[in-house]
Amino acid sequence: MKTNIATSSVKSSAEPETKLHVSAHSISVLEALVFHLIFGLVLGLAVLLAHKFYSINLVSHPSLTLRLIWFFLRVFQVIECPIVILLYSRYRKNREECSYLKAVGRGLLGLPVGRALNRGQTHGSNAENYVIQTVACLPFCYGMRGSKNTHVSKSFLEKLQRALVNALGAVALGAPVGTQYFSKTVNWSLMMSLFTIVPAAAVFGSSWKDWLRIFAHTKPMESVDFMICLPAHGAIIGAWFGAWPMPLDWERPWQEWPTCVSYGAMAGYLLALVASFSFVQAHARFQHVKRD
Amino acid sequence: MLIDLFVFFPFRFDFVAPSTFFEESKPWMDKLRVLQKLATEPGSSARIFKAIADPPTTSLQRLKGLTTGGLPTFVDVGNSFGAPAIVEDNFIHQLVQNRKQVVMMGDDTWTQLFPNHFSKSYPYPSFNVKDLHTVDNGCTDHLIPTLYEEDWDVLIAHFLGVDHAGHIFGVDSGQMVEKLEQYNGILEKVIEVLESQSGPGGIHDNTFLLVMGDHGQTLNGDHGGGSPEEVETSIFAMSFKEPSLSISSQFDTLSCKNDLDGKKLCINSIQQLDFAVTLSALLGIPFPFGSIGHVDAALYALGAGTLDLEGTKRENCQNRSILEQWMQSYANVLCINSWQVKRYIDVYSASSLIGFSYEDLMQIAEVYAQAEESWSNGTKTLLLSKNECSNPSLSALKAQIDLFVHFLTSVADLARSKWTEFNLRMMGIGFSIMLVSLLVHFLAIKRVAKQYGASFTMPGDSGISFGLIIACFVVVIRASSFLSNSYILEEGKVASFLLATTGIVKLRHSISRKKMLLEAVVFLLLISFCRFGIEIGLSKQAVTSQFLKAYPSWMISIFSQLPAWMYLTEVLPMLVLILLAYLLYKTISSSCFEGIWKCVILGTILSYMLMAVHWALESKLWSLALVSYGIGRNYIPRVIYAIGFGQLLLLGLVQLFNKDKCDCKNNLVMKTVGLLSAWSSIVILLSGNQGPLVALASIVGGYCITRLGNIDQDAKEGVGDVLAVDPLAVTQWNLLAVCLFFCTGHWCAFDGLRYGAAFIGFDEFVLIRQAILLAIDTFGFSHILPIFALPFLVARQYIQSQRKFILMRLSQVFMIYGLVTTVTVTVTMLCVTIHRRHLMVWGLFAPKFVFDVVGLILTDALICLASFFCFGQVEDDVPQIRK
Repeated sequence: MKTNIATSSVKSSAEPETKLHVSAHSISVLEALVFHLIFGLVLGLAVLLAHKFYSINLVSHPSLTLRLIWFFLRVFQVIECPIVILLYSRYRKNREECSYLKAVGRGLLGLPVGRALNRGQTHGSNAENYVIQTVACLPFCYGMRGSKNTHVSKSFLEKLQRALVNALGAVALGAPVGTQYFSKTVNWSLMMSLFTIVPAAAVFGSSWKDWLRIFAHTKPMESVDFMICLPAHGAIIGAWFGAWPMPLDWERPWQEWPTCVSYGAMAGYLLALVASFSFVQAHARFQHVKRD
Repeated sequence: MLIDLFVFFPFRFDFVAPSTFFEESKPWMDKLRVLQKLATEPGSSARIFKAIADPPTTSLQRLKGLTTGGLPTFVDVGNSFGAPAIVEDNFIHQLVQNRKQVVMMGDDTWTQLFPNHFSKSYPYPSFNVKDLHTVDNGCTDHLIPTLYEEDWDVLIAHFLGVDHAGHIFGVDSGQMVEKLEQYNGILEKVIEVLESQSGPGGIHDNTFLLVMGDHGQTLNGDHGGGSPEEVETSIFAMSFKEPSLSISSQFDTLSCKNDLDGKKLCINSIQQLDFAVTLSALLGIPFPFGSIGHVDAALYALGAGTLDLEGTKRENCQNRSILEQWMQSYANVLCINSWQVKRYIDVYSASSLIGFSYEDLMQIAEVYAQAEESWSNGTKTLLLSKNECSNPSLSALKAQIDLFVHFLTSVADLARSKWTEFNLRMMGIGFSIMLVSLLVHFLAIKRVAKQYGASFTMPGDSGISFGLIIACFVVVIRASSFLSNSYILEEGKVASFLLATTGIVKLRHSISRKKMLLEAVVFLLLISFCRFGIEIGLSKQAVTSQFLKAYPSWMISIFSQLPAWMYLTEVLPMLVLILLAYLLYKTISSSCFEGIWKCVILGTILSYMLMAVHWALESKLWSLALVSYGIGRNYIPRVIYAIGFGQLLLLGLVQLFNKDKCDCKNNLVMKTVGLLSAWSSIVILLSGNQGPLVALASIVGGYCITRLGNIDQDAKEGVGDVLAVDPLAVTQWNLLAVCLFFCTGHWCAFDGLRYGAAFIGFDEFVLIRQAILLAIDTFGFSHILPIFALPFLVARQYIQSQRKFILMRLSQVFMIYGLVTTVTVTVTMLCVTIHRRHLMVWGLFAPKFVFDVVGLILTDALICLASFFCFGQVEDDVPQIRK
């Protein structure tokens, strides 16, 4: 792995933070628009597809639908993330040699590797095995990107932990625990991690400093930061509010876990996409004015 | 001579009805076989009724409802412990007025309700729920001999064993089945005696046997609410005369099914409201003045075989069928009944401020006038027919009866919907008092902050912190969640959800500060554990609640099968208790504790050890120890109570006579630790096995909150905040307390009280003592300990500052805590006011309101106590604003 985000983060930690951002350029408004549209449309497409072709929805088959949604998102993000990376490195880092094809190849390579890792597990139902595999391979395929080959296993563990953060958070907040909820919770947390952690992992790799900046301090500096930070927070806050109708005694099927939480997350995500787009626009104008 | 006999049991409908009436057969069904056999025997005059009680289903209210025929009011529940005599006109009073001799045996509630009414009584104490046999054995001893005597007209025997067995062991238990089998035996004996004497000339030739329940019970054995299980009970009625008529089924609301032997059994439904008046009609005494029930046709028909057919039979009218005679007598009774109810309604609405609305009254009067008119016409025809001996048509009588019944049921329905009076003015006053108190809290906090800020903050700070916003948001959203009944039901889950949210916010904060990560993570884990505890509590509640869905409690089902789980539940609390004692020991050995404080804490450690010994001796694992332990079982808990009381007394005396001299912060810590340790032993003992675990959880939780609350303290010396303390930490403290309330298996309902806790260390019932123990158990972990531990939030702060500022902060912490509690209670009050006509008002909102208000009063009282204790004599100028 030749990307030197890891090394650059080491470098950047040595340098004053401002210097890093002065050299940075933001992606253009048009590019941002395209990205936002893609993200939003893919989400809508996945829900629509599930409804039209498989005639399932979150109410009837929450687990399956969630799987479909995150699968779609993932496929597109596998394609998109390298673009983001490309853009990111093009504008920010000194001409990264992580080419588009290479990145796509790596993203796709992640799948068989993850499967090989899980070959040892023979027990468990087919569906759950699949889920476990994908849990394992999903962070893995992104984890590869940010680090050197020697750090693959370490980074893999790190990312696995991050992917589990969503599930653990949900359990702490009161998500039902039990065998019948297992696959729902796993699929839901995978979708959440696609909204929140995966984009950040694709862009920042294992640069802990950037992670902190986005998720702990909430201080987005650039357009890309906005595109990661706002939708992630939007999805989390949306999911939080989505949990509120659950105790009501309306006896509607969508009140079950994780249907309305997923709806909340998606709604929050979409809203935040709009917000992030306007922020990017404003940011670009601001930069423009500043440059003048 | 006319003799009546009741036997009271608190029993569920499915104790009596055959199991074929239900979807699945349970072990407690079909145990009272003798009743089923009699009811199915062809030609017998025995019937089983399903009686529907009006909530609240506590014994006192039901007895009142049964004897007066009125609707109980909710406030009476409070009087359920320590019953005052019934002052309203009632059925027993009428019996005595008419020179009937009434004999009572069993539950002593009867003698409290009717102090001077019984010619003979054998009361037994009713509140010692652990005692399954005293009342029942006493009843049995007196019942059979009394049956052979002739000096009584009405005999009441009230058995309690089923009620107590339900409270202690639950319905699905061996003890319950045993009790039911014992009752079956008693009933067999009673019926045998009665039958042997029921021939012409025997003393029981005119006897009417009623076996009935005053209320049902849930599967947990609790009662008090309004769920079908609790309100449905049964009446078995049997007349020992040959049945002389079978009344037409047109009056009945029947449900018929085959019983186990394939015989057809029909069960009528009857309102408990109608019981008093029906019985009065049967006995021929005046109806109770305040009754609004109507004479039930089926029950009246049973008694009619023994009653007045001879009186109405006219020699010259041989051709009149018995059925017609009966119907006429029933119509007569209903006429009197309607007149009595109408009179009562008129008197009531004339004297009541907020009675029935004018339209309702008009409607009722109209219905009554119609019935009356038809009656006077009917009477005319009847009078004519008497002379001419021609029959009034059956249909005319039927129509007349229908008219009366229509009037009576519409009155009862109206009364049910409108009975409860709400004094809106008083509600408004109460609500405005709460608002004023909120305002006072707010102003006082601001004032303290101003004093504090004047000397501490630098000018120019905006002052509103992120923590303050989050804290306000959490409090407001929790308070507004009480506006919906669903959130009140799941209050524990909502609290843990919000607590976890604040935990995540804190975690994020600690990550950004790169400090105290461990505490934040531990706190989140702790909330996750709490959450499971709350779910177990909710699943217990769901069994009894009509509103909650029962979730499959997967954890219990998995773990309870493992034998290791048994050992774990027995041994783990003891280990944790020892750990707690060790922690206390570490505390006194490490810091500068003076002699007297050391004494207090050593006393607590001793209590812990005694407690461990007590549990070890009580547990089933070491069955050998149990043999020798039977007698002295109560001594150890009593010693622990005594030690705890002594410690508190000592602390109070020290506070009064000892000027504190060592530096303020250590002094505060010392006092708080002493006070907490003194309380903790009693609270843990009362909570039983879960006590030490919950205590450990609250210590860990409190520690994490305190640490996380101080995360910014050393970073910026001299906080630029509006408040001197972290409001989020106080909010978390409050939420944790709420979570602990639900974790310890409580919920806001009267069946959520853990009555068993009141009998730890004592066998007999003394009202005040047991009430205090129950209160300590209910509010121990959720109010007493958290509030007395609040000084930790201040004392652990890093800033070394003078006494004045610490005390100022402390008063602010107390007031913020009070404010948070007051806000939630205010919204609960608002919610109860809005929903006062809601279906669940007695089942859900009223208990929640009572619990919240008691909690608020307790919170304020405890805050006052704690501030007196902490501030000492020096600090008299600290604003003390408590409502």
